[in-house]
Amino acid sequence: MRFAFREMPSASGGALTPRPIVDIALEGLEVAPVACLLDTGALRTRMSAEIAPLAGIELTGDPAEEFYVGGVKTVGALARVTLTVTSDTDEFSWDAPVWFCDPWPHPFGLAGLEGFLHHFVVTINAYDGYLEIEPDSRHQDA
Amino acid sequence: MPSKEQGEIAFLAEVLYSRDGSESTLRRVAIGEPMPTMTVSGHQFNLESRSVETSLQGELPEPIHEHFVVINGRRWPPKQVLALVTGLDRADFTTHQARRALTRLGFPAGRAAGTRARHPGTSRAVAPRPSNASGADDPAVPLAEALRPFIGLWVAVRDDEVLVAAPAPAGVVAWLAKHGQRAQSMFRVVDSEQAITGAAPQ
Repeated sequence: MRFAFREMPSASGGALTPRPIVDIALEGLEVAPVACLLDTGALRTRMSAEIAPLAGIELTGDPAEEFYVGGVKTVGALARVTLTVTSDTDEFSWDAPVWFCDPWPHPFGLAGLEGFLHHFVVTINAYDGYLEIEPDSRHQDA
Repeated sequence: MPSKEQGEIAFLAEVLYSRDGSESTLRRVAIGEPMPTMTVSGHQFNLESRSVETSLQGELPEPIHEHFVVINGRRWPPKQVLALVTGLDRADFTTHQARRALTRLGFPAGRAAGTRARHPGTSRAVAPRPSNASGADDPAVPLAEALRPFIGLWVAVRDDEVLVAAPAPAGVVAWLAKHGQRAQSMFRVVDSEQAITGAAPQ
């Protein structure tokens, strides 16, 4: 599956540097896949806590951790969620731990090692502005 | 509908984005221009562009099937707008009547690109897609430019078109569900490099 890097508008005109973004659908929120920044430096996969109730996920009583992200102290609550990525021809779903964070300063979710990168072989071609992901067959067989 | 004496209206209708999308522009309206009186479905209304813009605050554009008008930098179905500002039932007037009424107020109108060749049952929502000031059919714009009017808002996009924009993701999802639409991606539009820097926990 190939995802073109995504451009965002710059306040001063033009566009910001395109970023590697993957659209990940949560079970229960298939109509609006959440854009997630591919973050190879992040251990977890994290999203805004605002997203959870929209997917029918209740965070009460789930394990939580405090941490800093982007210089902001936040609290993440853990939930296991079925995630799906879709392209024109393929679809892949997997069960993953996602940390729903409040507050969440970022416009996207963060797709990190646990929850995303562990499930795929990822190729980043920044020169041409795209990334490709292929499900890791070893993970599927595990 | 509040009414003013004819001839006392003086206002500047703001057109949020210029043709090249680079800056806001102002469209001048002559001081003393009388408030247009129009008859819709047998009812007389004194409408002016400012009150129309005000009526749309807090509303989200419905999917565009073919015709649209551009108000506050967004595309709106003409019938939705006229129903909101007049309180009339949409069955009481046609799309063309609504479009004509709104263009008389100075709002640009257009037709969504490709609708004529599209199967009626597979229309794509392009409701709030930003438009140039003319509102005429325009070629596809880069996603970054399409997103520019929605900085700070949550958006749902599909095929490089903005389906809907709202202050919170709940508003976006509610709109998608209400109109039976499916997005490719949902996120908040930002305008600085710092806002989209990856952030490994410290």
